[in-house]
Amino acid sequence: MLEENLLVVFSVITSGLLVGTIFSVVAAGLSLIHGTILLPQAANGQVFLGAGLLFWLFGTEWEWPLWLAVPTTFLIIGFLAFACEATILKRFYPLEDRNISYLIITLGIAQILSGIYTGTFGRISDTFQVTAPVNGFAIIEPVPIAYTRLIAFVLAGSVLGGLVAFLRLHRIGRALRAVFQNREAARLRGIDTLKIYRFAFLLGTAITTAGGILFALAFALDLTVGWTISLITFSIMIVGGPGSVVGALVVGLVFGFTQAIVSVFADPTVATFAYLLAMLAMLFIRPSGLFAK
Amino acid sequence: MLGRFLPKLSVLVCAMAAMAGPALAADQPLKVGWNSELSGVWTFFGNACLDGARLAETEVNAKGKKIDLIVQDNQSNPAQAAAVARSLDTQEKVDLLSGPTNADVSLAVYGYAEDAKLPVLMPVAAFPQLTKPGTKQVFRMEPDAVGWGYAAVKFIKTMKSDAKIGVMMSDFAVNRAILAGLKYQAERDGIAIVAEMLFPQSASDATVQTAQMKAKKPDFVILAGGGAFDATLTRQMLDVGFKPEQLYHPYGSTKQIMTWGERSIGSYFGTFFDHNLPNLTEQGKAFVENFRKVKNYPPGYTENYCYSTVYLLNELVDKGAKGRDGIRAALREVNTKEVTTGVPIRFDQNGARIEYMYLMQLKSLSKDDFKTEKVNYMEWSPEVLPVYDLVR
Repeated sequence: MLEENLLVVFSVITSGLLVGTIFSVVAAGLSLIHGTILLPQAANGQVFLGAGLLFWLFGTEWEWPLWLAVPTTFLIIGFLAFACEATILKRFYPLEDRNISYLIITLGIAQILSGIYTGTFGRISDTFQVTAPVNGFAIIEPVPIAYTRLIAFVLAGSVLGGLVAFLRLHRIGRALRAVFQNREAARLRGIDTLKIYRFAFLLGTAITTAGGILFALAFALDLTVGWTISLITFSIMIVGGPGSVVGALVVGLVFGFTQAIVSVFADPTVATFAYLLAMLAMLFIRPSGLFAK
Repeated sequence: MLGRFLPKLSVLVCAMAAMAGPALAADQPLKVGWNSELSGVWTFFGNACLDGARLAETEVNAKGKKIDLIVQDNQSNPAQAAAVARSLDTQEKVDLLSGPTNADVSLAVYGYAEDAKLPVLMPVAAFPQLTKPGTKQVFRMEPDAVGWGYAAVKFIKTMKSDAKIGVMMSDFAVNRAILAGLKYQAERDGIAIVAEMLFPQSASDATVQTAQMKAKKPDFVILAGGGAFDATLTRQMLDVGFKPEQLYHPYGSTKQIMTWGERSIGSYFGTFFDHNLPNLTEQGKAFVENFRKVKNYPPGYTENYCYSTVYLLNELVDKGAKGRDGIRAALREVNTKEVTTGVPIRFDQNGARIEYMYLMQLKSLSKDDFKTEKVNYMEWSPEVLPVYDLVR
């Protein structure tokens, strides 16, 4: 019995960590974009799903090696993000109240992407399971952890760590943070805010893409997952504070662990939505977001 | 001159048209309004079904057009499905409806059809209320889902008479119906349900629940995740140490099975058609090959039901059924066999099909194919279970 209980306890830890870090990665991408450009990227779930689907297409359906499948996925989504920013999004930069315009535009983009996925991938299958690049388990007695999930967790942690380091140590990262904090002051200090906007959008999209790939590695995809992840990551961003990567990390982990811990005591439906209760509790304590500046 | 001749000519033309009328009508193909999920979240099933139906349509029309599928997209949306049903009824004036593959959409079509007195032959729809008592217009090819739970228990009982089972399912209408049948029959057959977990449709991870299930030590676990979650659930069960022989899926479609992974070889599932069945007819084998050539994967029960639906309608046409009343009457009297497997097709007074299920074991799995072995086959009457009391 002790072994079974240990299995449950360790499964809470592994589930909380893995789900939490992947949530955090996607939320960090969203938060970066919103914190910099004031763009509530409602299409982030569909970008996330698109990344996972392309990764599945190249790596599993077409059997490309990882070294080709992963960069190609980033390149395609990066190109689309660049085109979107250059043709649509940048036109709204001069407007102060652009939030609602962006929300409507990105909701439209989300619907278009969703329609494209159902018309293309939806004809191939209803479930997209990436072939594991590495088979087997790491056994941390008594818990077996699939190598792919372990890899996904390590990579998700690396993405978040790399992003925090970039924002703190790199010149462009510091410029980004300056724009988060005060656009006018940043401009007066000689920062080209329009370039920073473009960079933030591309970086945020790249991070969301990484999240989609990691999720596809750790779990499986269907065409509804984009909307679910959108809701979760918006919640994380709001609670963590728009623009705060640390906020996304902390709140993502809180959400992941809340879901895992509640699973032990309540049925899976309650557990899956427990993060919403966690969100309300945290907003009650700090309505502007835990790490908002 | 012309003025005197014209009235006589018009009378002659009318008389000729009147004589030709019945002959033309006799040659009219059966107009089937295909109300299907060609976009939206059920796109894959709608298109897979239509692929099977189109294949059959091409075959039966090879020597003259007998069946005309008039296809419209319901966008996987019940409200749109009702609108499509109305359009097919009033604009296209179809002889009957068919095509839905999803419970919610099928229920919307059911509502319209019963009101408009338009016959429907549902190819893939397992929700029991589609053939509830008093149903006059709707017939369905797929046995109701309560029976799938019944079959699961009966099968497990053959494996271990006092088995303990666990249940892990996504929470949606069809799975609830399966669970109702499963619980009903488990109680009667002395099969203990040691854990029952229903997941919301948005669930993507079951790490904790699979560990909890492991702690309950069931002999078998019934798994029915929705969409991608089914693949995740299956893999996570194997991760925590369940043997594939302990896993039973109450239903398995081709693409679904292909996502379970090689480690699931040895697991069991229920189905209504499998390309490895030993009892495939010659036409069934040809269907498998022809479908595979077009789609690069073997057909499963969805594709087969849609293919067989068109052939059933073709048989009714061959027997002289025409018009809405004729088709409805002919469907009530159907006593035939599925062209691909020879499984009987009969409907009860509510349009429900005589229940049956194949129990299969997965033997091998590759990217584009899988091998299975039939381990059991069951047939039973829908009246064996109080289906409409269990699922309201």
